Amino acid sequence: MRTIFRAIRRRVNGTEKPDDGRTRNSDRRTRNSDGTRARTDGGVVSEDDRGPPDPGVLGRTRDRINGRFGSDFAESTPFWLPPFLLMGLFVYGAILWNVVISLTDFEGFGQPDYSDLDFEMYVRAFQDSGVITAGANTLILTVAFTLSTLAVGLLLAILIDRGIRFENTFRTIYLLPMSLSFVVTAQFWLWIYNFNNGIANILLGVVNLGPFDFIGNRALVLWAVVFALMWQFSGYAMVVYLAGLRAIPTEHYEAAKVDGASTLKMYWRVIVPQLKGATISATVVLMVFALKAFDFLYSLVSGYRPPNGADILATKMVREAYANLNWAYASAIAILLFLLALVIIGPYLVYQYREGNL
Amino acid sequence: MTNDEPDATDALSRRKFVYAGGVAATLGLAGCTGNGGDGGDGGDGGDGGDGGDGGDGGDGGGTPTSTPMGAIEIMHGWTGGDGKTAADNLRDTFGEEYPDLELEWNPIGGGGNQNLDAVVANRLQNNNPPGAFANWPGKNLQRYDGVLGSVTDVWEEEGFQDSHIDEAVDLHQRNGEFRAVPLGSHRLNNLFYNISVVEEAGVDPSSVTSISSLIDALETVASETDATPMTQAMSGTWTTTQLWASVMLGKEGYDAYMNFVEGNPDRAAVQSAFESTGTILENYISDDASSLDLTASNNNIINGNAAFIHQGNWAAGAFRNADNFNYDEHWGAKAFPGTEGMYMLHFDSFLYPADNPTPEATKQWMAYVGSQEAQIAFNRFKGSIPTRTDIDLAANDFGPYLQDAAEDFANAENRPPTLQHGLAVVSETMTALNDVISSEFTGPYNVEAATDGFVEAVSN
Repeated sequence: MRTIFRAIRRRVNGTEKPDDGRTRNSDRRTRNSDGTRARTDGGVVSEDDRGPPDPGVLGRTRDRINGRFGSDFAESTPFWLPPFLLMGLFVYGAILWNVVISLTDFEGFGQPDYSDLDFEMYVRAFQDSGVITAGANTLILTVAFTLSTLAVGLLLAILIDRGIRFENTFRTIYLLPMSLSFVVTAQFWLWIYNFNNGIANILLGVVNLGPFDFIGNRALVLWAVVFALMWQFSGYAMVVYLAGLRAIPTEHYEAAKVDGASTLKMYWRVIVPQLKGATISATVVLMVFALKAFDFLYSLVSGYRPPNGADILATKMVREAYANLNWAYASAIAILLFLLALVIIGPYLVYQYREGNL
Repeated sequence: MTNDEPDATDALSRRKFVYAGGVAATLGLAGCTGNGGDGGDGGDGGDGGDGGDGGDGGDGGGTPTSTPMGAIEIMHGWTGGDGKTAADNLRDTFGEEYPDLELEWNPIGGGGNQNLDAVVANRLQNNNPPGAFANWPGKNLQRYDGVLGSVTDVWEEEGFQDSHIDEAVDLHQRNGEFRAVPLGSHRLNNLFYNISVVEEAGVDPSSVTSISSLIDALETVASETDATPMTQAMSGTWTTTQLWASVMLGKEGYDAYMNFVEGNPDRAAVQSAFESTGTILENYISDDASSLDLTASNNNIINGNAAFIHQGNWAAGAFRNADNFNYDEHWGAKAFPGTEGMYMLHFDSFLYPADNPTPEATKQWMAYVGSQEAQIAFNRFKGSIPTRTDIDLAANDFGPYLQDAAEDFANAENRPPTLQHGLAVVSETMTALNDVISSEFTGPYNVEAATDGFVEAVSN
């Protein structure tokens, strides 16, 4: 998608040389065909070979479009238009349609009535304590999970980067949980969190704590879920950070040492600040995972009603849609979830745009 | 693509290919944004995705063509255990009875019936219904208003009104037409117990005939044995809702229960039922109840870790399948205390969608479902009982427990509809009731708030 936008912008701004692609292609063609006359490839009109084309109606329209949006706009459409349309239809079109459905009063079976659009469902959502709680839980889950996972991942990455023995083995061990399906890990953690014989309570019992009812206690269950997800994804954060650490030249470590920095200070002042890029990309991916916590909760209780205190917008949305057939209301909740995701991902997009990566 | 041989035709065909792609995408866009309201022609779903049929373009060819002599697609949720055995037996006996009809067997398991319901909802929404799908009748039929067809002709031709119990006749109608055919019935107001545990505690289950004597019995088990007095699977809320319903029926009686489900709740009765349910859940269930599912809870009875369990009598199926665990020897069953003489009714039924892809064949399936052969074939293995009144269970290899259940069924003074399983309230009310249980009654047990929530949920 980014590539397409970049391409479009370049064309719109006309920064690309008009015959850029054509020249490149011609060169290649010429070389490949041992001096025979090159047939250009970037153009659209097959009349190329038959001398200067007669503009005609189509041609004139094309020229006008090219004049408006930059040269080669019309010629390049076959390359960017199909993905553009598919993306537009299946992603943005679907979102837009969802917005429209959320404005109707559609419920039950049949067809939505598009003639009477209002924000009733959103008003209802903001008055529904279930949605408010689920929204708060979603936010807490996303933020707490992302921050804790980044912290653990960074710690693991630094430890592994210290040149320990069996480095690869440890890396694999930490990364392995991520390859497991939510269905598997949810069942693991359900056993681990069991009140009577779960290992979490046995371990806490050693230090005379607990036992805790991790699943049944509404004050604990969300944090228990956050911990389980953190366990699963800290390996991923570790790998991203490890790549970031490997990219930092050894000279930086040496220079810090020469200047008399302690290990802690060296990492805090010199190394960690250079991991900004890694942090940002890991954050975005982790937040997306947090929004997918639906799978985990669904597997935990084999259904879309999570334990009390762990309801998130995604489970609430599915319940409204499939248990109650309140399609419009579920769509409104989906849009709220979408906006929440946008609020989270927006700063990243802005940052990337400012950096010129978008 | 090779670049070594510059070839005009090659380039041309590639261009054509790209053009074709663009054109196809444009057409697809036009097709999909077309008139989605035209659902009447769901039959020609085969061309979905090529823009020819706007209504079906959205599901990208996911709609299978209904061939003229197509198989009857049956969707149900019996994917494991005795449910699967029973359903497979039903399919096989149907095949023997109707060798020229083909079934497309489509079991969808998981999450109770949540996955099945979601798939069925999507199919109905997309105007691509199956031949028939398993679900609950009663108020639950309201959920499918507008998408169910009529099987009144099947009921009349087969004489089902006379051969099935009256409640089945009432509960399978909606808007004046029959919409479904019952296959079997489970009982909801049961108390199962592990005989050796109750004997060790010195409790005589047959004397437990009221909620207060139940609580006394649970107290005795707690003080006399190491076992959990009552095992309750609380990883979902449905177990608590159905326990509350049985307590309500047992403590406050049939009329109070019916008033509640009919939308005229007596607040004092609701509160009283919540108080007793709260007493039980607070004091007599296991500490790890919140992570127990139904299977784990049943195993507590089988292993002798718990004395009592309240469940629908599908639990009897789990007991029967356990090794060395026999009815009247290792486990026993009685009506939930205070509900003796009542049979809280549940139905497993097949619903008949309108715009049926195979209307005639499906009706033959529906006729079969309500027949003696089908009800024997299915219920014998499922651990439920036939809804027909003319089946001799003893002569047809039903086990002793099912014979007892059928006797209770036949002799029951009242057969109140189940609250949690679709018959008594519409699905939205049921969701609301479970929301209340989830937020107020999964510990700590907030009787006041739960009472308010229940009263409000059914009053709307």
